[in-house]
Amino acid sequence: MKSSNRELVDRLAAEYVLGTLRGRARRRFERWLVSPQVRGIVNDWELRLSGLEPSLQKVAPPTKVWQGIENRLDLAGSRRSTRRWLAVAASVLAVAMVGLFMLRTPPLAATARATIEADPQTIYWNVELLGDSKNPAQELTVQARSPHPLESGKAHELWILPAQGNPVSLGLLPASGRQHLVLTAAQRQALAGAKQLAVSLEPAGGSPTGLPTGPVIHVAPLTTA
Amino acid sequence: MDRNESLPPEIELAQLLQKCAARDSAAFRVLYDRTSPILFARLLRMLRRRSVAEEALQEVYVRIWERAAQYEAHRGRALAWMVTIARYCAIDLMRRERMTLVGDDALAEVADESTAEPGAFEKPNHFDDCIGQLSENTQQCLTLAFVEGRSHDEIARLTSNPLGSVKSWIRRGLISLKDCLSAERQTA
Repeated sequence: MKSSNRELVDRLAAEYVLGTLRGRARRRFERWLVSPQVRGIVNDWELRLSGLEPSLQKVAPPTKVWQGIENRLDLAGSRRSTRRWLAVAASVLAVAMVGLFMLRTPPLAATARATIEADPQTIYWNVELLGDSKNPAQELTVQARSPHPLESGKAHELWILPAQGNPVSLGLLPASGRQHLVLTAAQRQALAGAKQLAVSLEPAGGSPTGLPTGPVIHVAPLTTA
Repeated sequence: MDRNESLPPEIELAQLLQKCAARDSAAFRVLYDRTSPILFARLLRMLRRRSVAEEALQEVYVRIWERAAQYEAHRGRALAWMVTIARYCAIDLMRRERMTLVGDDALAEVADESTAEPGAFEKPNHFDDCIGQLSENTQQCLTLAFVEGRSHDEIARLTSNPLGSVKSWIRRGLISLKDCLSAERQTA
């Protein structure tokens, strides 16, 4: 590394670790972390600045946090498939994160909703699309309500039924809690003009093919908010 | 007083992380039980809102499980490694939540929070000497950034200082800190 580059990297690494390198600059710098040299410079700063670490009174988190982790990582599910699905989860997460950082400043509002239910008294999930007048489908939140029966080793996957073409996955539905997702370009496109969402029963970790492989157990209308 | 009495022993955490790397989910659960109250407190300090800190904590442990193989046991500092993941995760979430501070109340709140266990984390050698050589303003900026996760803009607003001054204090402070720590290491 040239000495001028090294100085720049050192300065950026310091502000990255301190936390003042933000937004796009932070994202760009993170891409450099694959370089062992840059990684080393960051490690040095992490060590230096660790002296600023405060000592805080511990705070026990609520138990639902662990349940969420267990669900997301499928720790209770079948071991053999765990690794494979972790890789899938990681790449889905990466896509979601990339989408996340492209967020615009004005707050988003609910633009469409779907209720996945057995009957109005038994609502399993509330799905909300968030966006603005220009891009009505930018993000998605799913709130789990009544627990949906599910045999072990299986998962519920949410799908867009587009106006034309094959279903497009919106990911796995959470067993509990709230899930928030930044939509990919493909998902946004599929949502344009879509009138329905569907839920299929898939192997833990989700459909291995990218299309529903198990039975479709719910179809819900997507209504404009 | 044993200054590490309230923290789990590093060696135990390092072993647990290695087991996590080998996909031992029982070890992961033990690791979570030992460390989540520490990381949750740290996330609350940065994110303030409980619901957001809970979401962040979940994300942090997903990252820890996924990256456990990247933890290098020979470097030690298992808890510091985990806290760093938590800090970066909080910074990412702040952007999403578009958290901004309202007025000066937040600073008052910061000042009121007492630290319960001083010195529980091991500091680099001579850290206190080196940080003590920086101006009060610089120390305050570095702390607001590192501990509270505040951006340049927020620090300028919170401390009623011009943005340019805040940026240059931070930049020069970091250089001074680095020079001082490496000089002290050589003379030690």
